[in-house]
Amino acid sequence: MTEAKTAGTTNRPVVTIKLASTSDELMQCYMLRAAVFMGEQHCPYWEEFDGNDYTASHLMLYVDGEPAASMRVRWFASFAKLERAIILKRYRSYGLFVPFVDWARDFCRKKGYAKAYLHAQHRLWPIFERMGFRQVDDRVFHFSDHEYGAFVCDLAVDDKTMPTVFTDPMVLNRPEDRLEMPGILEESMDRGASNPHAEWTERRAN
Amino acid sequence: MSTIALSIGGEAVTTKLAMRMEDSLQAFAVRAACFIGELDVPYSEEFDGHDFGATHIIAYVGDEPAGTLRVRWFQSFAMPERLAVIQRFRGHNIGQLLLERCRKLAESRGSNMLYAQVLPADVKYWEKQGWRRLVAERADDQRIVGIVRAVDPSKPLPDVEAPEAVVLRREAQLDASGLPLGTASN
Repeated sequence: MTEAKTAGTTNRPVVTIKLASTSDELMQCYMLRAAVFMGEQHCPYWEEFDGNDYTASHLMLYVDGEPAASMRVRWFASFAKLERAIILKRYRSYGLFVPFVDWARDFCRKKGYAKAYLHAQHRLWPIFERMGFRQVDDRVFHFSDHEYGAFVCDLAVDDKTMPTVFTDPMVLNRPEDRLEMPGILEESMDRGASNPHAEWTERRAN
Repeated sequence: MSTIALSIGGEAVTTKLAMRMEDSLQAFAVRAACFIGELDVPYSEEFDGHDFGATHIIAYVGDEPAGTLRVRWFQSFAMPERLAVIQRFRGHNIGQLLLERCRKLAESRGSNMLYAQVLPADVKYWEKQGWRRLVAERADDQRIVGIVRAVDPSKPLPDVEAPEAVVLRREAQLDASGLPLGTASN
């Protein structure tokens, strides 16, 4: 979870970005997408909820605790694919898009992904180019009524800190947006290893 | 009453009650599209904590979720609310179809009154659909009008009152965070 820097005494809104980690947060994510894609862009339900939501990570952005923006990330072997990025209409003048994409890229980078990939609507190409994305090739394709191009951006993965099979196992068990902080399973270590099912396995083995 | 379309563009119009998690998500998505996307209602007002104590009716055009209605159950009445129809499916009386399904559901549960809260500007429309004002006189500063109709049109309603303030509030047993009062975390 990340709290954006806000000066102590201003009344600027507090912006929070986190990985959706409860069913309520997942529901908020889906409802924001329904509002923008179905409500504003008239996308059919079955195109918006395309079957890939349960193979993905979902990022949520809150403004003063109110769900304001979301993004879906899918994980391929050599790249992370950023998708379904939306900002609710009333928050579009807040300048949230660039910091949100930056947060997503950083999240992918910390997981060890050296490439972020996305399909950009034609009208947004200049914005992504300014943010360091480049077009993969000159193909223009279309789906759900919009023209797209494929864009990619290299991420500076730190070989020393990226998760590998040699990383501390308990670090790999942490919530993925807080790999630097101890997680709930580390607290469970206080209980020791009573191996409650050992007997059951022994019976099966004999 | 105007006729209700049974098919739109060759696709059958059907209704069902939300039974599975995916059904509920479809109902919620239709509301999010209409209320959050079109009318700019904040998420926390649209999803107000009553969704898991209510029945959701969904209308489909083919297999596309096109409309939804939430029904809350009270001892003396059933309350249809959050009626939403996706923009491109409007003009085919899907709202009426949903309300008729709600009426039949209330009938099957032995409820004899439907109660709804509508905007003053919409009262005339509802009166044409067989509803009447709960309180006959119109107050000038009324922001929301309570309206009622009999579940069985052949049985006129007795004089009952559903106090508007009670049903507008969050359920009394919930605190601001939606947790039941008196649980360990309070």
